[in-house]
Amino acid sequence: MLSYIARRLLISLPVLLGITVINFILMKLAPGNPVDMLIDPNTPPELLQAKKAMLGLNSPPAVQYGKWLLGLLHGHLGYSFSSYAPVADLIAQRIGPTLLLAFASLFGGMLIALPLGIAGAVRRNTALDHALTGLSFVGISLPPFFLGLGLIYWFSLKTKLLPTGGMHTLGGEGGLGDALYHLVLPASVLAAAIVGKKIRYIRASMLDVLEKEYLRTARAKGVRESLVIGKHALRNALLPILTVFGAEIPVLLGGSILVEQIFQWPGIGQLALQSILSRDYPTLMALNLVAAIVVLASNLLTDALYTMADPRIQYR
Amino acid sequence: MKTKRHVIVTTVLAAMLAVLAACGNNHNGSAPSGDSQASAGSSQPAAAASGSATSAAAAKPKAVTIGIVNSPISLNQINDQGDSASKTVQALINDSLLDINDSFEFLPKLADSVETKDNQTYVVKLNAQAKWNDGQPFTTSDVRFTLNTALSPKVESSFRLNFIEGTDDAGKLPEGQSELSGLKIIDERTFEVKTKKPIDPNIFKETFATKVYFLPEHVLKGVPPEQLATNAYFQKPEVTIGPFKYANFLKDQYTEVVRNENYYRPIAKLDRIFVKVLPAANLAAQLQSGDIQMNSLPVGLIPITDYEKVKALPDVNVDSSGPSEPAEIFFNNKTVSDAKVRQAIAYALNRELIVKQLLKGQGEVIDGSMPSDNPYYNKNIKRYSYDPDKSKALLEESGWDANKTLRFLVPSGNKIREQAADILVQNLRDAGFKIDVQKYDFGTLVQKVLKADYDLTIFNRDYYIEPSNYFSLFQSDNANNFIFYRNPKADELIVQGASETDSAKRRQIYDALQQILHDDLPTLSVYSEKRIQAVSKNVSVGKPLNLGMFNRVNEWDLISR
Repeated sequence: MLSYIARRLLISLPVLLGITVINFILMKLAPGNPVDMLIDPNTPPELLQAKKAMLGLNSPPAVQYGKWLLGLLHGHLGYSFSSYAPVADLIAQRIGPTLLLAFASLFGGMLIALPLGIAGAVRRNTALDHALTGLSFVGISLPPFFLGLGLIYWFSLKTKLLPTGGMHTLGGEGGLGDALYHLVLPASVLAAAIVGKKIRYIRASMLDVLEKEYLRTARAKGVRESLVIGKHALRNALLPILTVFGAEIPVLLGGSILVEQIFQWPGIGQLALQSILSRDYPTLMALNLVAAIVVLASNLLTDALYTMADPRIQYR
Repeated sequence: MKTKRHVIVTTVLAAMLAVLAACGNNHNGSAPSGDSQASAGSSQPAAAASGSATSAAAAKPKAVTIGIVNSPISLNQINDQGDSASKTVQALINDSLLDINDSFEFLPKLADSVETKDNQTYVVKLNAQAKWNDGQPFTTSDVRFTLNTALSPKVESSFRLNFIEGTDDAGKLPEGQSELSGLKIIDERTFEVKTKKPIDPNIFKETFATKVYFLPEHVLKGVPPEQLATNAYFQKPEVTIGPFKYANFLKDQYTEVVRNENYYRPIAKLDRIFVKVLPAANLAAQLQSGDIQMNSLPVGLIPITDYEKVKALPDVNVDSSGPSEPAEIFFNNKTVSDAKVRQAIAYALNRELIVKQLLKGQGEVIDGSMPSDNPYYNKNIKRYSYDPDKSKALLEESGWDANKTLRFLVPSGNKIREQAADILVQNLRDAGFKIDVQKYDFGTLVQKVLKADYDLTIFNRDYYIEPSNYFSLFQSDNANNFIFYRNPKADELIVQGASETDSAKRRQIYDALQQILHDDLPTLSVYSEKRIQAVSKNVSVGKPLNLGMFNRVNEWDLISR
């Protein structure tokens, strides 16, 4: 298993390199550049030229990429073109809140979706099943910005139970409790979409398994129904479910941009959006790299979880 | 064995969550801790914050939170990169030589006086008490250090000082020079600045005295110019000269400043100010919940759709700003080369409807680039009215090819402007134009405009007081003349206007220039918004303003009602 993981990590390196090349090309192909954003007739063109030279934008793209890669090998991600802050600092500041939000909503969503999906499969075609199906469609269809603003209206303005946004109380002492208190609304919005989608998956996956003969065997042996479902059926239904949850992690990172915006959650989504709009190349390159690493890591994590769910799967 | 695995998985997941939560917390490390009593719901910073440095710590610390829509990008006081959000927070921690208020009057700040006898040599006398927030005196030596640093060709700066002697056309020191020859230090508190030729003293006062912020020589001395921008000082500019000082800057979240106890003017009454970033759609809600006490201009604009809602809030005072920089249609004067066609477009647009319906009356229609409260605004020009018949007649007269399609570039982001553009497009189609609407983010749009890959576009320029800044766009030999407008008579007037020092003569020049631009119509403004200024009734003195919002921020206070 360990050697398998090591091998996977090694294979990831050229993949990552390829991703950065493609990202760089795409970024350069996009119209606009960080300097011409200042469309101000009162700025002398010499100054714009000087800025381009200072940022290294005059050298050929291959050289620019080479410099970036060389910096990366030395552990430097460069400086942001807009704030001149070290890019590594910018990302270090933001990655924590984003992962917190993503994993909280993922696990929250999973905890809700799992029992509901199972219930839907076990009681299939009953009123409960139909209600759950309806609920899941509501979850899928509600746009996050609408749900977000609705929750703010109800929980922050009407009942004043929860804060409207941010991650810490301004001027407060912060702390874990404070962050969790601010986490509830944004995580709920993201979790709602996950629950909606995953109830359907879990139900379908369970239905497949429920037909299987070994469950009949188990029942015939006199195993309790709760054990039949909870142990024998769920265990076998878990594999496809794990796959879709693993695939959800990268989606969450990208999809939380909107939610981060509404709730002023200080994550990388907002940083990415601002960097794209201001053509902040070093920050964008670093963000793409981080995103690529997260995707590769979550795939690896999913594969590792397979062996835990099903010991018959062996990696060599 | 199996149960053991379960335990491991669960533990690992739980641990990951805990670690992540802790990561998220770290940023607040530098914020002073206090006896947080954040009762659920009332997240008024005033109630939650604590730990004032004053002896009167027993009293509740006073904090005001200001709402802003875009995050400041940089706290570098010599390079705001033209970003209005950065300018907003910089004004809290930096003083300039003079202030300007919304009646366009100049008031002393770091300088006691700025005087000139010949409109070319300007004598500046600094406030004798002026000192940095670390107690070091502020002297002419800091002035020299700042100018020589900011004007070095190796340093990126937003200062536009190419009218000062000793700078080249780009406003930088010529290669190889490290001293600005137009600057003469008289003594510790007096210096002289010489301009290349005599200029209207208001240009000097606005562009130099109200725009230049200073660098502390005792902190930054010895930093090589090419490494200045990435120096750690600019990420945390703790030593500045202003009513408040830097405490915390979290991009896309908030900026926190605390009272400067060493201020050379009356020390601020508030303990701290937060400038919090939030979506425009949330401004009204957070005013209501008390999370913010006011919005800010021009970056914290409350959407006009929330106007009635904000007006109805019992604890909030609401009024409207003066006219602001207009949303302006820029023609590509190469492709839409006939002035008659541009006039036909002007008559075809129902701009009154946009102001009345879209802006709910909170704005006005103007034609020129300059807001109507500018002292040089020509009030005698008759505006283009909404007159479809006249438009059709003009269009026929011009022989416009009805099959030609006009590319109309609309920047995304400003919802009101996008909706206004929808109305404009409808008007133009009704008038018989074929319109191809292309929406882009601003960066892409600018690229297209610079390549002349457009026929018309709409956006807002910056807000200026100095009139020449509005007209430089129309000059034929300006490399940034992205509308390709050429008129020798206008060129002459633009040059005359910029160098005329007598304000009565200057007015005549600009009146004539505005008339020419009105007839030629290289650009056409659509509306000039009167922005919503909302402030909690708990705040005294302070309120959002287009100009000089923080001039008297040291007098701002919270009143308990």
